[in-house]
Amino acid sequence: MLRKSIWTGRTIAVLAYLTLASLPFIYALGRLQVVTGHSPWEAFWRFSSAYGAMDALSYTLLEATASALLTVCIGLPIAWYLGRYEWRYAGLFRALFSVPFVMPAIVAAMGFLLMIDDEGPLYFIGIDLRTETGIIGQISSLTGWEHPGHFLALILAHAWFNLSLIIRFVEPTLARLDPAWEEQLSLLGQGKNRLGRIRHLWWPVIGPAVLCAASLSFLFSFTSFALVKWLSPFNQTLESLMAAYGGSAGIENYRVDTSEIVMSASLVQFLILLCALWMTSTLQQRHSSRFSLISEGGARAARGAPHWRAKMVVYSGVIFAMGPLLAALLASFRVREGNFADGFTYNWSLEGWAAAWSGDLATMGINDALVNSLGYAFWTLCIALPTGWMLASTIHGLEMEGRTRLAKALDIATLLPLAVSAVMVGLGILLGVLRLMPELFQWHYLPVLPHVILTTPFVVRIMLPAMRSVEPKWKEQAEVLKLNGFRTWYHGYFAFLRGPAVVASSLTLAFSLGEFGASWLLVRAGSWDTLSVVVDQLMSRPKFDPLVQPAAMAAACVLMFTTFVLFLCAEKFRHEGEGGGF
Amino acid sequence: MYRTFLVLVLFMLTPLSGCLEQATSSDECVVLPAGHQDDGVLRILTYDITALSEALTDEFTNQTGVPVEMIKVDDAGGILDQMMLTKDAQQADLMIGLDNTYLPTAVANCLLQAHEVSASNLSTTALSFYDGPLALPFDQGDVCLNYDEDALNEANMTVPTSLNNLTEDEWRGKVAFPSPVTSSPGRAFLVASMEYFSTVDDQDAMAWWSEMIDNDAIITTGWTEAYETHYTGGYGEYTEGYIGDAWMTVSYCHSPGVEAFYADNYTHSTSLIIDHTSFHQIEYTGIINGAAQVEGAKLFIDYLLSTEVNTNMPENNLMYSVLEGTDLPETNGYRYHADVPSTGTTTTYEEVETNMDEWLESWKTATQQA
Repeated sequence: MLRKSIWTGRTIAVLAYLTLASLPFIYALGRLQVVTGHSPWEAFWRFSSAYGAMDALSYTLLEATASALLTVCIGLPIAWYLGRYEWRYAGLFRALFSVPFVMPAIVAAMGFLLMIDDEGPLYFIGIDLRTETGIIGQISSLTGWEHPGHFLALILAHAWFNLSLIIRFVEPTLARLDPAWEEQLSLLGQGKNRLGRIRHLWWPVIGPAVLCAASLSFLFSFTSFALVKWLSPFNQTLESLMAAYGGSAGIENYRVDTSEIVMSASLVQFLILLCALWMTSTLQQRHSSRFSLISEGGARAARGAPHWRAKMVVYSGVIFAMGPLLAALLASFRVREGNFADGFTYNWSLEGWAAAWSGDLATMGINDALVNSLGYAFWTLCIALPTGWMLASTIHGLEMEGRTRLAKALDIATLLPLAVSAVMVGLGILLGVLRLMPELFQWHYLPVLPHVILTTPFVVRIMLPAMRSVEPKWKEQAEVLKLNGFRTWYHGYFAFLRGPAVVASSLTLAFSLGEFGASWLLVRAGSWDTLSVVVDQLMSRPKFDPLVQPAAMAAACVLMFTTFVLFLCAEKFRHEGEGGGF
Repeated sequence: MYRTFLVLVLFMLTPLSGCLEQATSSDECVVLPAGHQDDGVLRILTYDITALSEALTDEFTNQTGVPVEMIKVDDAGGILDQMMLTKDAQQADLMIGLDNTYLPTAVANCLLQAHEVSASNLSTTALSFYDGPLALPFDQGDVCLNYDEDALNEANMTVPTSLNNLTEDEWRGKVAFPSPVTSSPGRAFLVASMEYFSTVDDQDAMAWWSEMIDNDAIITTGWTEAYETHYTGGYGEYTEGYIGDAWMTVSYCHSPGVEAFYADNYTHSTSLIIDHTSFHQIEYTGIINGAAQVEGAKLFIDYLLSTEVNTNMPENNLMYSVLEGTDLPETNGYRYHADVPSTGTTTTYEEVETNMDEWLESWKTATQQA
């Protein structure tokens, strides 16, 4: 009876979420079909003739692949050294490396622009990625490659953004790997040399995690928008193409061309990302079920304190992760003064913060925007966490019952919101709400809807591996103690998932704060504006007024600190061995 | 398993059938019932117009007792898109920001209703493009090419006297245009170029656009990217992300004045004054067809066009006021550095309404084929 009601509850949660997550896309697709007169199949085949679509596709594939590779190249050594030695502040390092991933893309873009401009550290060492002079200019003229600096800046920014993916996937496994394995292998013939150890130990242990992180990096780089817009202004990706033309898509008898572009591009993007998600899901399953590992403290203690090479790599990683954010912090205090005739100087002052606080340059001050952001984040958490938990437990339940194909299909289905373009979701929500209940547009909490759609897949991604790692025998042992049903469940099951649930909660809050989704809403009242929207508003204003830029950076810093504190809290709750991967 | 999945997919696809039965628009305009509930709040659909500050709306609320809520979109085109998408259940009462390249489409699609506001002090220039009952101008300015005087002097280049000069090799890669497909200043300049080549050079404008693309002209999504990121003559040099590879771009003829206003009477940017290469952009406000707070909307139009608010447009919105007898302030050389076009475009409301879609399509073809 209890089992039946559990499955009923799970079915309702699954159907509700899948309906909520897929309806916007279906509505948008239906409207585009009406406007263009093309079926999805026809639109897919007409992709090559859509304005700018082929260029956007080739650039997207190139930058996403390069970004994924660079993420692995930068992130793997950091994860390796961070995971293998006894670091005094391992939790703090993990929190620091997680911050880029939850930063709003607009903040990341501004931070990187500050790093690569003519007063930034890269320019100082002779690498001019922005105006492409010096060695970058020479590469361009020798190879005929147009704007190599912008491409490099973009993939570097994507690697920065996705750094925590590879660290969070790989580092927990390395941290808990029994050092005895390595010692035993080194005694065998196959483990005598480095290549042999990589092939027979390290690749089987961390390979799936690396590939999983790489495929997720590919996915996020593929759908990146703000970083492309700011760092690579001469090129468009499929997402930025759709964002540029999406506003006028889906309107009957008006700008049919933009509807054609959005329909074709969204379908092609959807199919490519579906493949990436399938790969991610498969690899994550392999990753989470392959090894049983020992205690983290024991494994770290056995390897001892980090040597100088480990310190150099991890500290460099921290500088890489924090650099753009520190640049944004400094920029919030720098105010331009002077004029073109005599040149401009920069003064250090709190005027930017005062302007951001007063709200004179945006729809509201940062205090009001923060209250909105926290309110939306709280309600998003209240819905996304139980929904994601239910979805993960349903998938795990199906796996336990041997219905692996259905489990796999559902696993991929929960990831679908990540494959759908924000433009399509925005259009779909607009059409759906207009059709079903237009009054919702006056409901202050409407932005929670896209937040929930987008954060739930991350809750599933964190909870599912954790649920897979819970041994059934732990529950059996609790039952032996003659505890009541709730206490058996609590001590034999929930206690092992508490840590991942806290990590999932902090990630949900951080993503919601980072405005993953509210900007999708095409009808959005000014009083709903969140911190991310305020940052975007300020950055989009003409910057004749010298306070606009520092005020934008001040708003970004408040967001940055809030998310950082959240992650620091999450690390305190992260139990040893419970990972914390996404 | 497959059956379960199929049922799931069918369940999700069910609403699609309803979606395919959208009602078509009527040819005759009627005043629609309110698209949203009237809760006493005036909802204004606008883009990030700097003049519409919190202080300004608070003052309006103090004077009238009508609370205001802004619904903001990215730009003027976004206002039209929004009104078109929500045509059957409008969520705002008043629109502020459609310009004269978008207004004809809004009128043709019955998106506005008669405002019944008598604005007596509007300049004839502001009413030159549209003087009907559905919209009123609230600010204006001429869109034209701006260039960096210092850059031209240092390179010993002469100031172009024809748009055809820009297809010459010395201008290769040095002109940035906001795309007319995604930007309203871009659209305005497209209109100007259509008129220029039909009246002055008697040449196919699209051929010129193709040649500009062949000459590595930079096309950006919006004005901000063209002016701040690429243009060397403006304040962009002091903002993040500056590249500075364009010596000429599309902006307003008074943009050099704005530069001077904010930089203690100094600028090295100026406008390219060639007959028929500018477009007099007028931005409008109007009551949305399907508004719930019509009275509040009328009061706000009155307020926006009051002497107290509208004469401050140059400082608050970096555009000219629409009131008779007003001009830019002299402060810091604002007026002095603002250029006035010799002969602006004479393209009419009807021409924009009839031809805009075709111009945009031709522009896309010309720039893609180049």
